[in-house]
Amino acid sequence: MDLSRRGFLQAAVFTAAASGLTVACGGGGSDSGGTKNGKNLTMWYWGGALSDKVVAEAKTHFKSQIKLTSSSIGGDFKQKLTTTLAAGGSSVPDITGIKGEDIASFLPNADRFLDLNDLGFKKISSQYLEWKTKLAQTEDGKQIGFPIDIGPTALFYRADQFDKAGLPSDPAKVAAEAKSWDDYFALGTELKKALPGTFLINNMGSVFSIAVGQGTTRFIDQDNHFIGDQDHIRAAWDTAVRAYTLGLDAKINDQSWNAAVGKSLTTEVGAAWHALDIESAAPDTKGKWRVCATPGGPANQGGSYLTLPKQCRNPEEAFKIISWILSPDNNAKSFTDASIFPASPETYAMPAMTGPDDFFGGQKIIEVFGPAAEAIPVSYEAPADSAVMAPFMAELTSIEAKGKKPDDAWKDAVSQAKQIARRQGVN
Amino acid sequence: MLSYWRQYLAISPFYLIFLGFSFVPVFYSLYLSFQRYDGLGTKQFVGLQQFEFLWSDPVFWLSIRNTLIIWVLSTVPTLFGALVLATLLHSVRRFKGFYRIALYVPNVTSIVAVAIFFGAVFSNDFGLVNAILGTVGISPVPWLSDPWLIKVVIALLMTWMWTGYNMIIYLAGLQAIPQSVYEAARMDGAGPIRTFFQITIPIMRPIILFTVVISTINGLQSFSEPQVLFASNAANQNLGGPGQAGLTTLLYFYQSAFLDNDYGYGAAIVWAFFVLIIVLVVINWRIVQRGRKS
Repeated sequence: MDLSRRGFLQAAVFTAAASGLTVACGGGGSDSGGTKNGKNLTMWYWGGALSDKVVAEAKTHFKSQIKLTSSSIGGDFKQKLTTTLAAGGSSVPDITGIKGEDIASFLPNADRFLDLNDLGFKKISSQYLEWKTKLAQTEDGKQIGFPIDIGPTALFYRADQFDKAGLPSDPAKVAAEAKSWDDYFALGTELKKALPGTFLINNMGSVFSIAVGQGTTRFIDQDNHFIGDQDHIRAAWDTAVRAYTLGLDAKINDQSWNAAVGKSLTTEVGAAWHALDIESAAPDTKGKWRVCATPGGPANQGGSYLTLPKQCRNPEEAFKIISWILSPDNNAKSFTDASIFPASPETYAMPAMTGPDDFFGGQKIIEVFGPAAEAIPVSYEAPADSAVMAPFMAELTSIEAKGKKPDDAWKDAVSQAKQIARRQGVN
Repeated sequence: MLSYWRQYLAISPFYLIFLGFSFVPVFYSLYLSFQRYDGLGTKQFVGLQQFEFLWSDPVFWLSIRNTLIIWVLSTVPTLFGALVLATLLHSVRRFKGFYRIALYVPNVTSIVAVAIFFGAVFSNDFGLVNAILGTVGISPVPWLSDPWLIKVVIALLMTWMWTGYNMIIYLAGLQAIPQSVYEAARMDGAGPIRTFFQITIPIMRPIILFTVVISTINGLQSFSEPQVLFASNAANQNLGGPGQAGLTTLLYFYQSAFLDNDYGYGAAIVWAFFVLIIVLVVINWRIVQRGRKS
């Protein structure tokens, strides 16, 4: 780049002036982008949240009424969205994604978003899984999030290793053998005997978070009381600790998971999207994996929503766009294109999803994930839930890394969680 | 005054940007530390409550401990190594430019890239270091899960990044020392080691003081190193690695404010930390200044 001194100085002055201006008008900004029938709509999401192909189709489909501009936002999405919403003004996107793990923390500020029920979501909500819809609903029934996808869990396992160990390897049989966590660990003990040096789970945290997700209550109840020290959490904790004391825990808390999966790790408990992680980490194990129902019942991990911020310049059209992008038919396309597991059960019966999966040796995996998705319990997730859960996860890693006594770790986790709950205004 | 408006205009960009992006936010964060604020909703004045929470928060104290240990483990070898390297380089006759660049390159390399590289090199099961140890018959060392070794790896990373930077500063200082002083020392029969400790270090004292202060401020603000080394994932929102052994105070602040949406508490953390940095800078200043018989 060739730049004369004068040009450089001019640029510097302009930049300074511009930054001065942004400082001067930061924070303020009017709420409305003019009238509510804007023709240019912006949409924010992050890579992999939606199928880029379906988004491109949406642009052409609505071309006559609306010019839709989508941007894929990298980095910490929630943080960028929060900052933008707090600043207000015309920089706020008309449509934005919100990650499943963040949706609860946006609910106290539901007034920043439009109620999708007013725009017609009520009429079509039956097409989407109730537990998923409910998680983006305020207590007074305001719907801020439109479900994009979900993450129903399953048990992924290496069928060939199971064969080698003389265990059943057919999905239906494995599911029957590993009905509860204890059965699954018993299976793991046998597996370890037959194949020394193999592990059942990657770390305690993954068991704990799924075990918590199998219940209907989490760390904070609907009356805003901390219940993270009660039996249901303790049971999930004990389940995770049992895997550790039985020696089935690989204690992987770093990037070495990529190298371990499919080698020393013979099974994985994870969400549907986890299949992609396994596939990219261990491509040479293609065809050897199978899936069956999660021990102890299905849980959900992840999955996102689309929302319309209050500043949306054309709510009716924006709602039309998102309900088109996320219609059962287009969800089938999104699944084919980007492995986005839909929140609309009728999609599960479509050819896009019922086909055999080569990575799983031709198994029709929807037969596992479909029923799991529909059986996931409706649970209440408080805004501070993930913050309160953090110390439990941290203490589990303390057991793994430092050999801390599980009981001490439990006590510390509870006392820290209580404090975080108090800080966040939970009593 | 007014007749110099052009000059003022020329230097104004920095001041305007500083005002907008540093000065105002700093004081806004002080205001925030007395509020409860989730980033979007209404701010609620809670007085000193956030600081009370801070006082009784074991994780905060753990993070302070981690930060101080990492800081000591990285600053001492960094500054000592930089001084030794600068002295060596000072006596080099040929390829001076090459050595300078080679030693400075780590500092201009993206910290994220360096951290990813270190994460791969020190990986517990598949890292280069453990592979090399394995050839000598040493069993794998849990670099990235043992609480102490985690800190060692982070400190090593910071040493790697900052030794060259400090070396350049020392080199500038060394070149300002007149050769006649060294010649006099040689005449009196002082060897190179003795010359280093009795001539070089005392004359370099003000420069060392400068690097100590800068390294204190820099070293206590370690954030990216542990963040990239122990990247959190969706399934586990914890930062700072197994057992939170690599959780530095700034990382804890980031977790509280931006992951837990507790901006008031995050602000309280950084302000408490600010006080700590000031205290440590003053202590260091005193230590380095001491023994100066003027």
